[in-house]
Amino acid sequence: MNSLRKEFTTLSITLIAVGIALNLALGTVVLRLGLPLYLDSIGTVLVGALVGPWAGAATGFLSNLVWTLTGLFPQAFAWAGVAAIIGALAGVFARSGWFNSVGKAALAGIITGVLSAILSAPIATYVFGGVVGAGTDALVAAFRAAGLDALLSNVAQGTFSDPLDKLVTFVVVWSLLLALPAREKARFGNLPVSAGRPLAGKTRRPAGKAAKKTAKKAAKKSTRRR
Amino acid sequence: MRGGSIYIERSSGLHRLHPLTKVALTALCFASAAALPGLPWLLALFVGLLLPLAIWGRLTGAFLKACLLVVGPFVLSLTIIQGFFSGGETVLFNLGRFVFTQEGLLAGLTFAARLLVALGGTLLLMQSTPQPHLMQALTERGFPPRIAYVVLTAIQIFPSFQDRAQVIMDAQQARGLELQSGLLNRARLLLPMVGPLILGSVMDVSERAMALEARAFSSPARKTSLNTLADSLLQRALRWLLALAAAALLLWRLWSALQ
Amino acid sequence: MIELKKFSYWYPGTEQSALDRVSLSIAEGEFIGIVGANGAGKSTLCYALSGFVPHFYNGETEGQHTFNGQDMASLDLGQLAGQVGLVFQNPFNQISGARFTVREEIAFGLENLGLPQNEMRARIDEALELVNIQDLAERSPFSVSGGQQQRIAIASILAMQPRVLVLDEPTSQLDPDGTRDVFTALSKLVSTRKITVILAEHKLEWLATFCDRVVALGGGKLRAEGSPQAVLSSEQMLRLGVGRTQYSEAAARLLRTKQLPVTLEQARKALK
Repeated sequence: MNSLRKEFTTLSITLIAVGIALNLALGTVVLRLGLPLYLDSIGTVLVGALVGPWAGAATGFLSNLVWTLTGLFPQAFAWAGVAAIIGALAGVFARSGWFNSVGKAALAGIITGVLSAILSAPIATYVFGGVVGAGTDALVAAFRAAGLDALLSNVAQGTFSDPLDKLVTFVVVWSLLLALPAREKARFGNLPVSAGRPLAGKTRRPAGKAAKKTAKKAAKKSTRRR
Repeated sequence: MRGGSIYIERSSGLHRLHPLTKVALTALCFASAAALPGLPWLLALFVGLLLPLAIWGRLTGAFLKACLLVVGPFVLSLTIIQGFFSGGETVLFNLGRFVFTQEGLLAGLTFAARLLVALGGTLLLMQSTPQPHLMQALTERGFPPRIAYVVLTAIQIFPSFQDRAQVIMDAQQARGLELQSGLLNRARLLLPMVGPLILGSVMDVSERAMALEARAFSSPARKTSLNTLADSLLQRALRWLLALAAAALLLWRLWSALQ
Repeated sequence: MIELKKFSYWYPGTEQSALDRVSLSIAEGEFIGIVGANGAGKSTLCYALSGFVPHFYNGETEGQHTFNGQDMASLDLGQLAGQVGLVFQNPFNQISGARFTVREEIAFGLENLGLPQNEMRARIDEALELVNIQDLAERSPFSVSGGQQQRIAIASILAMQPRVLVLDEPTSQLDPDGTRDVFTALSKLVSTRKITVILAEHKLEWLATFCDRVVALGGGKLRAEGSPQAVLSSEQMLRLGVGRTQYSEAAARLLRTKQLPVTLEQARKALK
């Protein structure tokens, strides 16, 4: 409960809104570029990495709700749970230092992508009759023709696109974290110290320089805003 | 479509309904999509309920167009996949060793009709209800106002992010970096294109959050609303009725599945 | 009503203090200008005067910091919101975005304060009129110019009827038209309402015409304090990287007076 509250300060709530807006803006612009990628979860992974698993999950879940509410992609809400898990995973990976190197970030992306493909397949199969209503359905048809059943065909289709998409997404977020000033990263508090988290303490009127030094070490963000 | 809303302003009875009444209607559509047994029932619901509502809301053309855009691709995919791969006796035609059956076609169309009813209900709700009204109605019933803030703000700021991304893309194109020059090149152009946009928006978050605090975002006071959403006893009763109908449909479906 | 005594502040993880033993006392109804080069601590001082230091930015403080005699640290942002308003540089970031028309955007803060509808409507109409954007009331706050957006931001804060209004370079991202509109709105505010205003600004010509008192910052320290004419005409402003108003510059070339004029009005008199 405590960690949950820590991830939903006014600052992180604002970041979540910006993360969702980035998902939608990039998702629609990339769609226009005609790449075989979605890149509609850069905001989710970024928020997860900066703030933590709960905030990442919220960003993913609410992004899909917003896709539905805008009418841009009304069926998105069916995948809100998968999007939430992607954000949560990004938070966990970042906390464990997987965003410290590009190789680990790429691997984390591939793992997330495979998991996302596996989790998405039952939704396509049982909610949407085995299709997603896009060009990738041709792949599903090919797998069905090769003899796979409905569920496996959708898993197979997903593993064609999701791991690559999440690999690119995680590497993009890794490079963004690299470019982001340490002060900004520290403000959100999920990334490990090695990723440049300075001391975050708060004291009121310590008696002198010595008291300040000890207070620096002892104080945790205790009196943050809600 | 550009922008963050498919809401269409009209002066109609449907528009004036309390948002939650329309949510209850959408819920009934979802329950029907899941529970109704076959194609005729589903189409009857669409023609007998959703279409008249759209006509009442003076949204007929826009509603049908949105349905076609969203459900159309599903119809195509479902017809092919289900037609060829879900078995059946009555062969309509065959392509090599693959047979397209009448049963499969029916299964595909039925699935498409389920999506039409569920997504149609969602589209009609969003075409006739401004998003802030929907969120206000929900927060008045205990939905967290902070989530309402996140949803509404994201909806409003993403078009300006979109514009900025578009401006950067156009600038790249003007500098001769053709966006049509191969998949790899396009992918490589992406990061320098979106990087500054993303970093800038993250660095702006502190100021945005402070501006929110300056607007009493963290005030412990019980929040009020500038506008009152019109509601009536009749609508309250109707909402209960719709919710009951939705629940009954789902229970009936569950019961008949267990039989 | 706001008092700093030997107040120092360190942002989290920094060794260099952003404010260094600043002592400043602000009385009710005063209009105070803050000048200084970039990085001199203007924004940090604005945050301290409105309570965002130490409540939004943690970090370390030393010295006294009171609001209406109460320790600033004992108050929280929720309590301060109706009392101290802060306007920032970037108009886009200040539009909450949670409401779809200008009228509703202004209402957002009032809704958070839990005000009844009648009072909200009255306050919104008053705020719209003060900054002269009545004609934008039903527009989307994202469909207007930067100068108009900044006036919406100011109206949104004014409607909350704070006792203190802090503006941190409110025109730095605006074009000349937008700048003029914002300052016109500010001058109207000063003449019609008794409210304490604190304005950090690079555009000294405007600052000089409004302020009762000017404080100059350099390297986080308070370097000068006094009447606009005394502070802004001094040679020290050139050393601090603040510069001088165009009227002072013109007069400095033409006249040999000790007290250079800082406003157009003063320049007219001096040059006669």
